[in-house]
Amino acid sequence: MLNDLVAILLSATLLLTVVAALLARKVSVSLILLFYASLLLGVIFTVYDDVLIGLVTMITFAGAVSVLILTVVLMTGQSEMGAATRRSQLLAVAAGAAVVAVAAYSLFSAAPGGAPQAAGDISLQLFGFLWAFRSWDLLILVTVFAASMVSVTSLLSGESE
Amino acid sequence: MIGIQLVFLLTGTLLVFIGIAFISYSRNMVKSIMSFQVVLFGANLSIFASGLGGSERLMSDTFILFSILVGASVEAVGLALIVVIHHKFGTLNPEEIRRLRH
Repeated sequence: MLNDLVAILLSATLLLTVVAALLARKVSVSLILLFYASLLLGVIFTVYDDVLIGLVTMITFAGAVSVLILTVVLMTGQSEMGAATRRSQLLAVAAGAAVVAVAAYSLFSAAPGGAPQAAGDISLQLFGFLWAFRSWDLLILVTVFAASMVSVTSLLSGESE
Repeated sequence: MIGIQLVFLLTGTLLVFIGIAFISYSRNMVKSIMSFQVVLFGANLSIFASGLGGSERLMSDTFILFSILVGASVEAVGLALIVVIHHKFGTLNPEEIRRLRH
């Protein structure tokens, strides 16, 4: 029963954060809320015994992709980072506190596999599986990643000429 | 476990539909990329939910890793395209870009 409640709480918070991010008028506010949503998704994976996937999600989306989008927002002048009103400051602090509270409650409650000591086994199993049977996946991933980096480099170098 | 699986499957499906709706609704290309990220979140959550409580856990983990890396690569290319388009046309509104092209 408690596990169902935690799942519903996390899902509802994720949905609300995402809808607020997409409905926000300022791109900078959307970016901050999307950062919170990425963290929440990572928390969901972590709470339900997928620590490795949770960490990869947080590192990739809350870390790398958020910084990439922030750079593009600043480069294209979409930030509109004017002086925030007192109300919007309070709203941002409240949203951040709510996300942190939900994440902390979920991590420390009695959700299945919430104990991080299972992480080592899962990671070892996953890596063993990947390297033993699915190495073609890794080859495809590396190829896709390299192709995207080459296209990004060619796009941006063509722009600077 | 079935209840949790159902909750996450529903949430993932909703996220995919919300993301697709905002991709078509958005008049800002940066917001479109953010909506694409929401679609990715929904897809990852759905794959994760499909692997909950069964023996296919490692398979779903592999697919999530695949999805995360392919999604991040696509987003990087999309953001580079946005920078190029902004330098060329001076706007990120798709309708204005279409008008300026003709």
